[in-house]
Amino acid sequence: MSPVSLHNFLAVGAILFALGAVGFLARRNLIIMFLSAEMMLQGVALNLVAFARYRGNLQGQAFTLFILTVAACEAAIALALILMLFRRRKSLDVSLWQDLREPELEPIVDEEPLPAPPEPVELPRLTPAGPEPEHPREEASHV
Amino acid sequence: MLDFLSEYWSVVFPSAVGIAGIYLLLPRLEKRYRILGAIIGAAGLLLAGLLLIGSEAILAETILFYSFSGLAILGGGLMLSQHNPVHAALSFALVVLSTCGLFLLLAAPFLMAATIIVYAGAIVVTFLFVIMLAQQAGMTSADQRSREPFLACLAGFVLLIALLSVLQKTYSSTALDALMAKVDAIARAKTEVDLVRILGRPAQNPAGNRSLPLVDEVKKVLPSFDQDKVENANGYWNERPMNVAKMAALFQDIQKHVEHEFQLGSLQPPANLPLSPFSGPPPNKEGPHQLPAHNVAGLGRSLFTDYLLAVELAGTLLLVASIGAIAIAARQREGLR
Repeated sequence: MSPVSLHNFLAVGAILFALGAVGFLARRNLIIMFLSAEMMLQGVALNLVAFARYRGNLQGQAFTLFILTVAACEAAIALALILMLFRRRKSLDVSLWQDLREPELEPIVDEEPLPAPPEPVELPRLTPAGPEPEHPREEASHV
Repeated sequence: MLDFLSEYWSVVFPSAVGIAGIYLLLPRLEKRYRILGAIIGAAGLLLAGLLLIGSEAILAETILFYSFSGLAILGGGLMLSQHNPVHAALSFALVVLSTCGLFLLLAAPFLMAATIIVYAGAIVVTFLFVIMLAQQAGMTSADQRSREPFLACLAGFVLLIALLSVLQKTYSSTALDALMAKVDAIARAKTEVDLVRILGRPAQNPAGNRSLPLVDEVKKVLPSFDQDKVENANGYWNERPMNVAKMAALFQDIQKHVEHEFQLGSLQPPANLPLSPFSGPPPNKEGPHQLPAHNVAGLGRSLFTDYLLAVELAGTLLLVASIGAIAIAARQREGLR
């Protein structure tokens, strides 16, 4: 048959799936978490299409079409949810939503907290001397 | 544990190296280890290419498979390591495009086009819009750090090893490799000299016909192959002069049998299940099958026979999802809620 066999494609699908799982668990940005979930779906779709090819049976490809449909629905709903969550907390960080956890669990504290933002430097200011002169009309229209 | 490691080291080792690279590449505040992580990750990818999916024949298909799958995995790693979500979305587009290349290699042109249009064309662009809406102020603290990177990588490593070792257990024919090397050599033999070099010389006196040890081995390892047919090899070997053509033909048959038997792995559906024939020959039917030449027509027949109800449900799901997305995302006026 062909030089590339079925389990090679299945291995690539498994690697994509595991990479997506790591991304979903480790990243904080809601959008990247969702992209990782989509990458897991790509791994599964690759599996199904490979089975369809090597079995000579179109059922795998039909399944993949349904995966596409569900992924499109999922993207629409998830992006709407992400927009709404962003409006509530003004950030995409998923750990800001820790209050959705089980009631008896302790909150997770960040191991590496962000460094404090630099203090605003007090610059010396000259006291305004005298009234502000009137600008000529032409110049003001340019500024 | 040690047994597992010694049996599946070719799975465990590249996965460990690759996941270690991913662990170093995940975004964190200090950026010292990023180059080291990139090098280790690339080494893991190369090792996986050499060990997991090694193949001898260099054909156009092999080269395309290697480059597309390498690009897909590379894009996945890039997506995990990007600080900027816009770059992450573009890396995801790279993953999708290379997966589409693999789809084309797998004789699914319609799915390739549909995936490019739906994923790379619609979903990624929508993502970019949302990123622009949500992150006008630039990068946020969410992109500078990871959440429990060590535990996440450990979980991914265990998942990867589980998947790959099950795949290797089901689809590997490494137990046959030594035998199949001999079988291949005999199948390619042209002259008696070739055969003697592989099998040795038969006994000089015709009364002492010996049987080949290779024949017993084939009978033991491949019980599904016709046993009497294998026995014929002894006759061909002891004939004077040796029957090289028939010997080669017999071993070519064995080769084809092994290829067919081990292509689909050791997990097969039971033969007496009543499976639908509309999408192609059912998977429990004997013999290698080909996909229909008309991909779109075949898919249409499959969708509107086997999956008619599912098609209707998918249409309803799309409608409900679009209504739901509008209802969730619409900006409520102050005081309306």
